[in-house]
Amino acid sequence: MHETVFLVDDDPAIRESICDLLDSAGIRTCCYSSAEEFLSQLSSASQGCLLLDVRLPGMSGMELQGLLLERRVALPIILMTAHGDIPMVRKALKSGAVEFLTKPFQDRELLDSVRQAFTLNRTSRESEAAFQSIHQRMQTLTQREMQVLELVTAGLTNKEIGQKLHLSIVTIKLYRGQVMRKMQAESFADLVKFWQTVHPAEPHKDK
Amino acid sequence: MATTLSQVLWKYAARPAAVAIFFVLVALLWTFPLQHVMAYPFVFLFFPAVIGSAWFGGLIAGLMAIALSYVLIAFFFIPPLYSVSVGRESRTYVAAYLASGAICVIVSALRKRSEEEIRSARDELESRVEERTAELQQSNQEILERERQLRAITEAVPQQIWTADAEGHIEYANPELLAYLGRSSAPLLGEDFSSIFHPQDAAEFRESWEAARATIGNFELRARIRNAANAYRWFLIRGIPQRGGDGSVIRWYGVHIDIENQQRAQQLLQVAQEDLSRTSRTTSMAEMAASIAHELNQPLAALITDASACRRWLQSAPANLEKATAAAERIVRDTTRASDVVSRVRSLFSKTNYVRVPTDLNGLIDELARLLKDEAARRKVSIDLQLESDLPMLYIDPVQIQQVLFNLARNGMDALRGAPEPRLLKIASRREGDAEIIVSVTDSGPGFSDAIHDRLFEPFFTTKADSTGMGLAICRSILEAHEGRISAFSSTEGATFQFVLTLNSTDQGDSYA
Repeated sequence: MHETVFLVDDDPAIRESICDLLDSAGIRTCCYSSAEEFLSQLSSASQGCLLLDVRLPGMSGMELQGLLLERRVALPIILMTAHGDIPMVRKALKSGAVEFLTKPFQDRELLDSVRQAFTLNRTSRESEAAFQSIHQRMQTLTQREMQVLELVTAGLTNKEIGQKLHLSIVTIKLYRGQVMRKMQAESFADLVKFWQTVHPAEPHKDK
Repeated sequence: MATTLSQVLWKYAARPAAVAIFFVLVALLWTFPLQHVMAYPFVFLFFPAVIGSAWFGGLIAGLMAIALSYVLIAFFFIPPLYSVSVGRESRTYVAAYLASGAICVIVSALRKRSEEEIRSARDELESRVEERTAELQQSNQEILERERQLRAITEAVPQQIWTADAEGHIEYANPELLAYLGRSSAPLLGEDFSSIFHPQDAAEFRESWEAARATIGNFELRARIRNAANAYRWFLIRGIPQRGGDGSVIRWYGVHIDIENQQRAQQLLQVAQEDLSRTSRTTSMAEMAASIAHELNQPLAALITDASACRRWLQSAPANLEKATAAAERIVRDTTRASDVVSRVRSLFSKTNYVRVPTDLNGLIDELARLLKDEAARRKVSIDLQLESDLPMLYIDPVQIQQVLFNLARNGMDALRGAPEPRLLKIASRREGDAEIIVSVTDSGPGFSDAIHDRLFEPFFTTKADSTGMGLAICRSILEAHEGRISAFSSTEGATFQFVLTLNSTDQGDSYA
């Protein structure tokens, strides 16, 4: 699946010219004349970014942005308008738009924004994939192994963990080896990284 | 019927008979002793008896008395005695007696009747006078009662009411008016009434009062009246004349209605309306600008993108001429579209209805002064018109020229905001040579600097926070459409804006649109 710019604008001249410009830069483009048309063809496999005019017939660009946010569609959004006022820009950026372009804009502005959005999309896809894989591996752990993982990543020694769980150090070492194997961790550092990927902002319980 | 019959009998038979018998018997009784003293005494006594009967008993009694006296005379005194026959020698005498008696009776009866008629007429008159007097008394009382009622009404209404004589001296003022002015009735009556008005309104009151007196018509005005606490309130004052039979004024009636709150609300409303219209002017201007910007930015965005794409196709290795040509074609198309937008905007603003009608410029200025009267009073600005009479008619669009005048006058009044009084706004018209008419609007405000002077007529240039900066720019374009010109200069006395309209060019005008 290629990275694509999904362009939604009701003005055919704009659609044509932007499509051609992106084509000249080797970027694939799909054009839609309304938000509804775009939604009907949106799939979960869509990659790239959305280039969206604010003023559209029917559902407006801002409304579409809200809807995509609700549906957890990860496509970054670049908004365009022919009369951008500050409050509208602020609102759009607050609700997750990557960039706000005021028509008329230079080709460099557009291409930079698109590339930036692509990068963003790629990163978020990769981190999503990583998250999924760690999450899957974590599912295979037993309850006891989970407890050990949690305490290990919190920085406790084997002895401390043993005292906490009323188990011998030997048993803890056994569980720890099991966790390393199941999580496919090369080192203790990997283990900590995996834990943080799944629980990013959570402050640790024992700290 | 029986009573009427007896009344008739009494009136025409019994009563006259009784009267006649009474008088004749009295005469007879006196005649007996007297017949020895003088000859024919019956004539002497029977005549009074006949006359008396006729007088007191009427014609019938008189005739009865003659008949009875004839019988008695013939019986007692005329030979042959004790017989009713009359001797030959006495017949003439008796006949004369009878004839003269009859005449006496008739005359006396007629006299009596006429006297009775007079008396009855007098009686009737008297009774009528009495009746009339009673009626008069009653109606007098009714009038008094009605006057009391009217007085009670005038005292009960919450409006101020007065009456004045033909000269305008106050004769009556109702308690409401007296209480408002804080006076007892005595010193107000007859006083020069205009002294109760606000000094600024007294002149207008006198004016409308004199006009009403001249035409004997109603008058009405709004004026401030000073109350007991020396504060002023606005009143609607109405006066109505009462005319006499010859058409002259007998009395004036007046009523004052308190409109202070109304007046105040109206002023607030007016201020609010002005604010609103100014705001909406600004807002609609901003909205229009935004929508024009949107309309224009749309093709411009396509245009720039096309141009960029075209350049990129040309710069790629190898150059993609087919794609570049397509982009260039879109550039042409989008440029046409942008220029269409521009000409649409132009046609939106250009006046499509071309009007040139013969117009009296001084009439326009007079109308303007009337329109601005209230606002000028509120801002304490006096408008001074110096118009040259007998200006020729101009072929102009009166609405547009009025708009120019209005803008200049409003600017002048704005310039006078905060200026020391007296705040003057002078509007003058004069003829310059054969071909030109100059109108100038001068305010006594602070004037403007040279730097401002250079930019005065630029669109969107303004020194005021609440202005669009389009007023003078519009004035200039209106005058240019009239082949006239507008200029401004400032001196220590204030700012002057003047415009020139040309006589020759304005009457042949369909060459430009």
